[in-house]
Amino acid sequence: MLTDILITTLINASVYAMLATGFSLIFGVARIINLAHTAFYMLAGYFIFSFTTVLGLGLLPAMLLSIALVVVIAVLSYRILIDPMREHEAAVLIITVALAMVFQELMLVFYGGHFRSVPQLVSGYVTVLGVRVSSQYVVTIGALVAILAAVWLVLMKTRLGLAIRATAQDREIANVMGMDVSLISTVTMAIASAQAAAAGALVAPLFILEPRMWLYPLTIVLAIVVLGGIGSLKGSIIASAIIALSETLVTFLLPSGAFLKGAFSLGVMIVVLLIRPEGLFGVSFEGER
Amino acid sequence: MVTPPEASNLLEVRGLTVCYDTAMLLNNVSLSVGRGELVGLVGPNGAGKTTLLRTVAGLVRWEKQSKQGTRAGNITIAGEVRFDGERIDSLPPHVIARRGLVLCPERRRPFTELTVADNLMAGAYLQKDRRALRETLDMVHQMFPVLKQRARQISGTLSGGEQQMLAIGRALMTRPRLLCVDEPSTGLSPLVKKELFAKISEINRRGITVLLVEQDTALTLSVCARSYVLSHSRIVASGARQDLLADQTVHRSYLGLQSP
Ligand SMILES: Nc1ncnc2c1ncn2[C@@H]1O[C@H](COP(=O)(O)OP(=O)(O)OP(=O)(O)O)[C@@H](O)[C@H]1O
Ligand SMILES: [Mg+2]
Repeated sequence: MLTDILITTLINASVYAMLATGFSLIFGVARIINLAHTAFYMLAGYFIFSFTTVLGLGLLPAMLLSIALVVVIAVLSYRILIDPMREHEAAVLIITVALAMVFQELMLVFYGGHFRSVPQLVSGYVTVLGVRVSSQYVVTIGALVAILAAVWLVLMKTRLGLAIRATAQDREIANVMGMDVSLISTVTMAIASAQAAAAGALVAPLFILEPRMWLYPLTIVLAIVVLGGIGSLKGSIIASAIIALSETLVTFLLPSGAFLKGAFSLGVMIVVLLIRPEGLFGVSFEGER
Repeated sequence: MVTPPEASNLLEVRGLTVCYDTAMLLNNVSLSVGRGELVGLVGPNGAGKTTLLRTVAGLVRWEKQSKQGTRAGNITIAGEVRFDGERIDSLPPHVIARRGLVLCPERRRPFTELTVADNLMAGAYLQKDRRALRETLDMVHQMFPVLKQRARQISGTLSGGEQQMLAIGRALMTRPRLLCVDEPSTGLSPLVKKELFAKISEINRRGITVLLVEQDTALTLSVCARSYVLSHSRIVASGARQDLLADQTVHRSYLGLQSP
């Protein structure tokens, strides 16, 4: 059982970390709270379903194609709908939640409300530390962690990453230093949505697809971002682990009360915030200018 | 006082008027900065000095566009800004920066959570030639050795004076042709202030044209060959130190200086 708890926690933690870091990133750079963020995760799952079952593509090409398609949709949504409203925070909230609802209803129209599933990428089992684990789980965790590491490397070690970090700190000054902040925001949107889509694509073979699958992760992502401290990627990752672990513990220790996992993990968040209102790694929020 | 339009000027501002709603922040301001000059811009608090530099750097227009329709209100901008003979008043800030006009902003504004080294690299964003980048970095380190010693420190934890050096260093990393510095001496001790002014003169001697906005009128007039006095949104006087000091009205009303 311990291995199961560990594996489930690792999968959920890395999915949440992927979603939450992307959410934080686009919040930091473009100052938008994108409530449609996890809808991109949902879309990727459905696109894979279509590409594999309807078009008969292999799972890997279907995944890559889905991620690309989601990025295109996300970037277009950003440029056409979200960016023009950037200064109106309430409008951004409404527009993005509307966008998520539209995606949800479209999935309902095309696929109905049935649960769908996607074939596995790899089959069989591997033995990790003397325990048999489904290879699909291992591949999923490995890929999620690798992508997270790659995003971190891009942010910390490249010219683009520096521009993203600088823009997140002070848009005006970044602009004065010659950075095209509007382009950088768009690129950040592409990265963030690619992360969400990749998370969706990687867990599609493990989870069940349904049109409302964006809502619960969205709540959890918001909780994680607040818990970790807004703007802190490290905080998001650690908070993802905390939330995923509390969810898993509830599910395993209280099998009949698995539906309580959300309430419990959000309760953990509330308790931490009562002790540290700025979040675990909260940075004092200095206004621009 | 009317400056004849000269093609040889690096910066030429003509009839610039900026209003935030009904408040006129700049009223028909004209000024010019010749190639290689070190020009001062002084004036009391709230005169519009920062607004002038922000308009020239494209930030006011950018603010106008991005805040359109918000409660921030309407911004209107009229007049011409020419840099190196070409109009830049409709360009976005990053394009203006690419042309070589760079602002070292009021209150320094380093990227506080980035290290000193990353701040300098952010300044070098446009610099693709690695050798030139290395050279500029060496020059900045030589001019401000503390930036080298504290390369790995998070810049928000630097002292005020160090942050100012970082802000200037970061602006120099862009390899500007015109450096607009907004009140670099705020909060510095008299000694550090003197050193800073010496550095600014040195930067100018290295061939970078400088437009210097300052509160410390005496020091500014002494390092700048030519200065403008801005008061209540208008240019009220301009000229070399002796001319400005000789004019009793300017002297008393705007500069508040002791007679030399
Ligand atoms: N965004 C804004 N909206 C409305 N008024 C503004 C805005 N920014 C500046 N002002 C006003 O414009 C006037 C000029 O401001 P500015 O910052 O240009 O002055 P300054 O000469 O730089 O002063 P200081 O020496 O104190 O820095 C001030 O009265 C200020 O209150
Ligand atoms: Mg000012």
